[in-house]
Amino acid sequence: MTGPTYNENQDVRSLIGSFLCTDKDANLILGNCQEYIYPPEMEPKEEPRALGLAMIPGHHIVSVHLDKVTEDEPRIQVI
Amino acid sequence: MAMEMQHNWVDVTDTFRTSCTELKLGELVHDQYFGLFEAMSAIEMMDPKMDAGMLCHQSHLVMGFDKSINAGKLKKRNVLMPELIAIIDDTYACLVTWLEGHSLAQTLFTNLYLHKVHDVDDRQVKAFSIAMLKIVDILREIVSRASVFEEEDFQPLTYGFKMAADISEVRTIGMVKEIEDDIQKIVKSTRSKQGENRDAQTTAQHSEASALYTRLKFTRLLFVTLAGLNKREDITSTVGDVKKYLNQCKELLQSMLTSVDLGVQPVPTQDTSSTVTYPTVMGFEPLVNQRLLPPTFPRYTRIRSREETLVYLDKLMSRVEHVCNVVGCSGFHGVLDFMRDFSNRESCVLSRSVLQMLYMPADKMVYAVTPIAEVLRETARNFICPPALMPKSSLANNPLTKEHVDAFIVQATRPFRALLQITGNNRARQRDKLAHVLDELSNLQDEADKVDAFLHNLLIKSEPQRQHLACFGSWVLCHVIQVMIQYLLLGFELELYSPHEYHYIYWYLYEILYGWLISVLSRADGFCVEYDAFVAEQQKGRNKKAKKKKRQRPYARDITVAQAYQNLSGGLYKALAGFQLEGRQKKPMFEFDSEQVRYEHRFGPFGSVNTPPPVPFEQCQALLKVAKTNFVVMKLLASGHKGDSKEPPEFLFTPHKAFPIIRIT
Repeated sequence: MTGPTYNENQDVRSLIGSFLCTDKDANLILGNCQEYIYPPEMEPKEEPRALGLAMIPGHHIVSVHLDKVTEDEPRIQVI
Repeated sequence: MAMEMQHNWVDVTDTFRTSCTELKLGELVHDQYFGLFEAMSAIEMMDPKMDAGMLCHQSHLVMGFDKSINAGKLKKRNVLMPELIAIIDDTYACLVTWLEGHSLAQTLFTNLYLHKVHDVDDRQVKAFSIAMLKIVDILREIVSRASVFEEEDFQPLTYGFKMAADISEVRTIGMVKEIEDDIQKIVKSTRSKQGENRDAQTTAQHSEASALYTRLKFTRLLFVTLAGLNKREDITSTVGDVKKYLNQCKELLQSMLTSVDLGVQPVPTQDTSSTVTYPTVMGFEPLVNQRLLPPTFPRYTRIRSREETLVYLDKLMSRVEHVCNVVGCSGFHGVLDFMRDFSNRESCVLSRSVLQMLYMPADKMVYAVTPIAEVLRETARNFICPPALMPKSSLANNPLTKEHVDAFIVQATRPFRALLQITGNNRARQRDKLAHVLDELSNLQDEADKVDAFLHNLLIKSEPQRQHLACFGSWVLCHVIQVMIQYLLLGFELELYSPHEYHYIYWYLYEILYGWLISVLSRADGFCVEYDAFVAEQQKGRNKKAKKKKRQRPYARDITVAQAYQNLSGGLYKALAGFQLEGRQKKPMFEFDSEQVRYEHRFGPFGSVNTPPPVPFEQCQALLKVAKTNFVVMKLLASGHKGDSKEPPEFLFTPHKAFPIIRIT
């Protein structure tokens, strides 16, 4: 699901953090958030950018993944 | 920081979205200890004001050193002279922008050559880049050691970049000199010879080579100068050499200014809407370090122009040359006055740091040679000639004396050291720090009074006609009062007071502070004169031909200056009181304001000081009533001159920052 205004933009990033808060419009707040340009499993290993506390507006969220191993690390893909 | 964890990502997007729709508007699902208050500090993604990562995907692809080489956008060999001149000029522009308080990531490290100096094949670029890295390292060290900066002054963070530490100072200088000599050969060979006409290409080559030569020489001299200033040893003898180099640098800068157009100019890009990137020459990428910056809002750094840079560097050389003169100051008080005076002028974080480091390059050691305690003892002796420190006094030989005096001096080192450091901060920060040092000084004052009392008792047993009352006490008191005066005067400079507050500020200065200062200086004066008489008395017995040295009152000038300021403050205070009583001064509505609260806030830091005792608001009010009768003077002045005007008077703060000229409108 992409927001209509940003179609031309090539901006795709992955954000990984602990789930803290959400609301009706699916705006998401993640704690200890780290930003990856490419998905973290890709080679070569990328140095993430530490963001800290981040809020992602719902209409920019492409997908949400949950890490079943640790159970509280949603991964968000943003356009 | 690669985590070796195994991830098991499960796509929950649809579940997530559907669940969210079940919430009501305004309803939140949140972690146990998390609420809206904490949510306020989250940075919002996809908002250009707050999301620095967005910008990496703007109009052009941002590439680092290796990628730029591979893409053919960056040359690592055969860099042409105009290209090199541009790189040098723009690198200096970044250096100056950094010194003005911006981050290295957005200034110097936008120069890609500085990322991987060892991979650069071009000898000229390599030598220059290594020299610049080492210059930056030294500058950072000087400012960090001095510790007189705050976040608004300077950003020392190097983001993990290597600063060519593996290359020695000597080697660096050698590398640059080699290149200098090579360029000089070109300059000589392309010089216009008698009878020969040079073609356009040779003439151009000559100018470019000359420009390059001056720049490389400047870089080498700058490096040598800064290395000389960063020593942790006594440099009082080598400071003359430093000043010589600085003058040479200034001359080279003049020459560089004339050739500033010879460098390649940046080509303006089509994307004029972007406020983040700006046109650059080969070698620079403004966004290359965006990901290193903290996740706060993206800061746009405007790099100085090439001309502005050279002008700034010239002024910087002058400032540093001036601070080198501190080695000629006599005693601690002389140095303190020098530092205060320099702080009053246009300074910069680097020159202030150099000044601090020149005087105290190593902790607690003045000029790295004399412990500060010894300097302070000497200062106290010169100030008031206390019998405990004077050679002819019996008190000085008493071991008990030494014990007490030493303990006192040791306690004095911290606040007095702080007085020096305060002068190194920017003007706004100084005011806060002055308030803090007052606390320490007032404790020291109590200590001083105790020591004085003890020594006095000792003294009168052996020399009943002499006294030791308030010797050290006066010395500390003198500094306490000077700090208080500075605190109030800084308030004017920083434009903290409203005109309706001026009257009690000036009143405090006139009635309390300058009055006390004059009496303390007079007392110090008296002690010194008394000591001289005592010495003369002793010498009379031994040598009948002793010349009577009539010592002039040492503080005559200082006392006169203080009296002048006192009269100035007094006059202003009475004038302002007059305006108030005539209804010419705008005052805030007292329904929502309390003058007492404001008064107590303005003089809050003085509460910790015992001498002079803080003056309560009621006393100030009482004196204001006294001024009522005095304002007849002001009325006479105004009677024949716009007496009917209800316009508020104008306060002109030129030529002096704190005592304005009043213009009646």
